[in-house]
Amino acid sequence: MDKLARQLQEDAQRIEVSISDELDRRIDASLRAVTPELESPRPGPAARPPLFWWASTITGAAAAIAVIALVNWRAPDPPDLPPASVAAAIPSIDLKVEAAVLTGPLQEELDRLQSDLKKAEEKVRRDIGL
Amino acid sequence: MSDELKLIAAAKAGSVDAFTDLVRAYRPRLLRFLLTRSPSHADAEDVLQDTLIAAFRYLHSYDPRWRFSTWLYRIAIRNAARLRSPGMLEIGDLRDEENDPLQQCIADSETDNLWVSAREVLNDEVYAAMWLRYAEDMSVNDISQALDRSASWTKVNLMRGRRVLETHMNGDAGQSEAYG
Repeated sequence: MDKLARQLQEDAQRIEVSISDELDRRIDASLRAVTPELESPRPGPAARPPLFWWASTITGAAAAIAVIALVNWRAPDPPDLPPASVAAAIPSIDLKVEAAVLTGPLQEELDRLQSDLKKAEEKVRRDIGL
Repeated sequence: MSDELKLIAAAKAGSVDAFTDLVRAYRPRLLRFLLTRSPSHADAEDVLQDTLIAAFRYLHSYDPRWRFSTWLYRIAIRNAARLRSPGMLEIGDLRDEENDPLQQCIADSETDNLWVSAREVLNDEVYAAMWLRYAEDMSVNDISQALDRSASWTKVNLMRGRRVLETHMNGDAGQSEAYG
């Protein structure tokens, strides 16, 4: 025990207290006037009249019917569509251009672009394992 | 079954004598603690009486996993807190220097009592934690239970309380922090 702890302990003991006879009697009298609360079990359901039972049954049934009706009142689900293939998901860019209106360099550029596009499309197909 | 548990069982069944025997040893200790937290001796005695009545009345709610003294202190701390009106922040605000019950109980002593200083520099909860630790030798878990605080809160505040008191003991009052 360190110095502070020892000092605190000793100083607490130096606080002189005593329970006076008068306080003792007062506490005893108070305790005798008290009834300790017992650990009572949870109260069971009180007996209810049959009418209450019928009323709650009918209310429950009406609520269930209302819920079922509400659920079935929705618009029918759209028919299931066949799953889209992965290939279809790849966007195809159609670059049909009238050749007659194109000049030479533009035609070459278009060819290169289409070639690049084809390569990219093949790469994507390879990557996704088709 | 220990004697204490037997007395608790008898008191739960309604025996005032068993309850009186059960709390006999705790009464002076509780009163000593309450004197440090009450504006007058009479108030401390009233709180002690209320604490014992509440303990007897609600003994069925005592959980034997905890020390009985911990449970008693928990009730006492709550009852002592009711002495305070909403405007009063700390128990020190209630104190009347002339009628201070703590000062009266140590009036014959020639040296300063550290608990008087502790009341000046610590807030109520930290003071209570320090008291339970060093005057009652309670474990951190028991203190946490009595104060309804977490174990980590208790550890941290015990450490801070010690630091503040050590600073005070070393006469470094100018640098002491009024912890709260």
